[in-house]
Amino acid sequence: MSAKTRRIVAGVSGLAATSFLAGCAKDAPQDTWQPKGSNAKIIDDLQQPVFAIAGVVGVIVFCVVVYCIIKFRDRGQAMPEQTHGKPALEIGMTILPALILAGVGVFTFRTVFDLSKTSDTQMVVNVTGQQWWWEYDYPAQPELGITAPIITSGQMVIPVGTKVLLRETSRDVIHSYWIPALNGKRDAVPGRVHTLRLDADKPGIYAGQCTEFCGLSHANMRMETIALSKEDFAAWVANQLADAKSPAENTLAKEGEAVFLNQCVRCHQVNGLKKADGTPAIAAPDENVWSGVAPNLTHLMSRNTFAGASWDLLNKKCRADVWGASSETVGKKYLAGVSEECLNQTDLRRWLRNAPAMKPMYADPTQLTPTNGKYRGMPNLGLSEDDIDKLVAYLSTLK
Amino acid sequence: MAIIERPATAGGVEIAPPATPSRAQGGFKRPVSTTGWKSWLFTVDHKKLGIMYGVMAMFFFIVGGIEAVLIRLQLAAPEGKVLSASVYNQMFTMHATTMVFLFVMPMAAAFANYFIPLQIGARDVAFPRMNAFGFWCVLGGGIFINLSWFLGGAADGGWFMYAPNSGPIFSPSHGVDFWTLGLQITGIASLTGAINLIVTVLNMRAPGMSLMKMPVFTWLQLVVQFLLLFAVPVITVALFLLSFQRNFGATFFDVSAGADPLLWQHLFWIFGHPEVYILILPSFGIISEVLPVFAKKPLFGYPFVVFSGAAIGFVGWGVWAHHMFASGLGPVSVAVFSISTMAIAIPTGVKIVNWTLTLWGGKLRFTAAMHFAIGLIVLFTIGGLSGVTHSVAPSDTQQTDTYYIVAHFHYVLFGGAVFGLFSGFYYWWPKMFGKTLNEKLGKANFWMMVIGMNMTFGPMHILGLQGQPRRMYQWTEARAGEGFFNLAFWNQIASIGSIILAVGVLLFIINVVKTARSKELAPLDPWDSRTLEWMTSSPPKEHNFDVIPTVHHLDEFFHRKYQQDPVTHEYKQIATAEEILADQEAHADKHIHMPSPSYWPIVLAATLPIITTGVIYSIPVAIVGGIFLVLAMFGWALEPSTAPETDFDPPAAGESTKELAPLV
Repeated sequence: MSAKTRRIVAGVSGLAATSFLAGCAKDAPQDTWQPKGSNAKIIDDLQQPVFAIAGVVGVIVFCVVVYCIIKFRDRGQAMPEQTHGKPALEIGMTILPALILAGVGVFTFRTVFDLSKTSDTQMVVNVTGQQWWWEYDYPAQPELGITAPIITSGQMVIPVGTKVLLRETSRDVIHSYWIPALNGKRDAVPGRVHTLRLDADKPGIYAGQCTEFCGLSHANMRMETIALSKEDFAAWVANQLADAKSPAENTLAKEGEAVFLNQCVRCHQVNGLKKADGTPAIAAPDENVWSGVAPNLTHLMSRNTFAGASWDLLNKKCRADVWGASSETVGKKYLAGVSEECLNQTDLRRWLRNAPAMKPMYADPTQLTPTNGKYRGMPNLGLSEDDIDKLVAYLSTLK
Repeated sequence: MAIIERPATAGGVEIAPPATPSRAQGGFKRPVSTTGWKSWLFTVDHKKLGIMYGVMAMFFFIVGGIEAVLIRLQLAAPEGKVLSASVYNQMFTMHATTMVFLFVMPMAAAFANYFIPLQIGARDVAFPRMNAFGFWCVLGGGIFINLSWFLGGAADGGWFMYAPNSGPIFSPSHGVDFWTLGLQITGIASLTGAINLIVTVLNMRAPGMSLMKMPVFTWLQLVVQFLLLFAVPVITVALFLLSFQRNFGATFFDVSAGADPLLWQHLFWIFGHPEVYILILPSFGIISEVLPVFAKKPLFGYPFVVFSGAAIGFVGWGVWAHHMFASGLGPVSVAVFSISTMAIAIPTGVKIVNWTLTLWGGKLRFTAAMHFAIGLIVLFTIGGLSGVTHSVAPSDTQQTDTYYIVAHFHYVLFGGAVFGLFSGFYYWWPKMFGKTLNEKLGKANFWMMVIGMNMTFGPMHILGLQGQPRRMYQWTEARAGEGFFNLAFWNQIASIGSIILAVGVLLFIINVVKTARSKELAPLDPWDSRTLEWMTSSPPKEHNFDVIPTVHHLDEFFHRKYQQDPVTHEYKQIATAEEILADQEAHADKHIHMPSPSYWPIVLAATLPIITTGVIYSIPVAIVGGIFLVLAMFGWALEPSTAPETDFDPPAAGESTKELAPLV
């Protein structure tokens, strides 16, 4: 290549790259080019040169084609030489890409094995997908302060700078756990356990989404991973280990507890909740839901999204405050949970009024023959506005 | 059965016609008419079947296109309300199914059917009735799959139909049943077609046409037929397993019964990846014909193009698990398939180099066909390079199931396969219909499609890399990012692009209608072409060639028109296409035997949807269909290849040979 063509190629590819980058969204929560953890970083370090090589090759091909179009246009020239090719050139043009790819292959090989290591694990979370939400089950890990198992959903909380190993599976169809800022995705397959490494450099809220098509509400199956400083994580664990407290007598919330015991507890567990006769109220989602589980609501208001992390429990203003917080302040703000003033009443009430109208689910009682009458998702409970007022008051106490 | 007839050598012996029974079979006369609707319904002529394949594929292209536009309308704004979640899931499933199985595959089959016999100097395919049967199967299967729209909803599991989401519990409508069984029917067509064309290419080439003198289009189609022959049985097995699970209570993919859902993924992609080459290689073949013609020089590195095509045909079997990098295969499988996927980029890259070097030093004429061919080189290169970026497995775990993949395969399949097919339309239209498509409209068609496709699929690279997953009936602003160029902006651009793309396709349809109405006939050899299909009349006679040509060169037709001056080494025209054709007509073979039309292909094919309907709704119906199937097979088997004299009406005055009636 002459110096001139080299300058042109560099110019064009530079221009293409700049215009591409300038054309991107700022702060897209699921941007794959903004790694925030060591696993995502080694992927990014591998892919950036590959994108660059691909870009340069693309520009070269484009330039050669354009050159041909301009230079060899039919201007009445004589019939071209009827050449059938130049084998040496052909072989060269076969070996050259093979060499480039061999180089890429070596680094790919190494990265694949790096990303599959499990020996350096510092913490384990069992992650289970079902239509259309994620459940997180933290086995007891006393060295991390987790003295008894913790079950939560939607938002997974991890300590910063800790090598976490997810053990993924599913209770119905295939789902895929993906937090782009922290690592690539890994499918959660029923009957199998797949592992995925995650760690975050800094405290923050990292968004993700189910990325294996999982049926009707696939689009409404989201999740977040929240990284907290070690101290904040300890505080979170302590709170999660506590049972829910029954609201004071003669409050709206107490009446809400009665509604909850009457309706919601059929599927949703609240640890520490007692029936009127003082015996523990045990949810029986396995009798009502095909996957056999429903989100544990003991600490609902410690999370800031609900219904498969698809709707905010925080209203717009408070959400912006928490999600937009710097890595120094985000932990404290997250741990504050959802206060009365911050609660997104609109969406929560809409959900309680008629959940399947908000998020498509298999919840029509007349169409449940294939599942022997079990729901896939949450049905419309036909609650009165009065009951909804009471329930919202009760749910607000589940911090 | 075709009569594989070689031209009689000078003073040679005539081949005796096959023995035919003296009376018509089963009381029916053979449908021997050469005009009217019956001549189409019962035809076994590869050219008529090719046209019917094309018309059918074009119809489904429009159906699939409407589905695509609906998808883009739904995604034009956040929380789209055009389609419900359920309908959206059906829409993207059927868009892919339609485009893959009912548009690109049949359209490639249309070209294969029409042009392989012509390019190899044969009078028909090896098994003409089987050819007709294949067409009616695809049509029947395609209609059957789409009937589900009106019978409780179409399939909603995505074209990849991953288990267990495709099972009876998670997809309770009959959509997946229609999909599975309909694809079985189209699969039969692919298999019979593959066997037919392989036998045709291997056995029926004109004398002198060694494999390395065969046109590249025929070569790459041959590779495609082998891919079909081995890939279709795999999907057939997978579909049967799924059918038995859904319709007869089997538990092949039922995890609670000990199944591993990854079984389906392996089976599907062992079919699915070769399928990608089944879709793209015919278009590679088409532009390997078009580029040399409009560059006025032979394809650069013909053997490299042929062998890289064959190499793709082999390596294509060893890369399926790159669709499963996030499925949890373990690092060894992932690493190996990552490397094999990089390897397949090499023979594909060879083709790009060869096409570009075919242009180099040529005398380029920018017809509409050439526009599409060059468009393919550039657009396919973009798709190929984005493909290389996700052969790197770790980076694929970020990209898979996002719009980046949607962008990638639309550059490959739309920019590649579809542009190649359009190039073929413009190039071969005068051959097939005797009229040239309007070039001006053709170029407008090209530019609208290029702009539309880049606007639609280009932004999807950004959408995907910035984290928008596929197959979501809605997207939300909460994940769309900030700034003017946020994901909402790019979603809008993509949706606008899809409309422009649709207008581009509409221009093609307008062009077709305009050309059909025009009285202007095309010249015999409008592009100064190089291969045998141009050495006969346009459209060709039913028996293709008056004399089976004897081949001495690659690009035989070019060498009959031009001869190299031994002193100056310049090529000089020594004959025109008209002179060559006149010479052929003057020396026409006597006793050309063509197979007679038959009722049995359409009758046999019609029994299949009856059986599949029965499987879904009522087993007795399936049994009745099965009985008809067996009867039709017997009728087929007992039918002689040519109709007895009694089936024909007395010849009209002045008509000497009824078999030689031209295609109208």
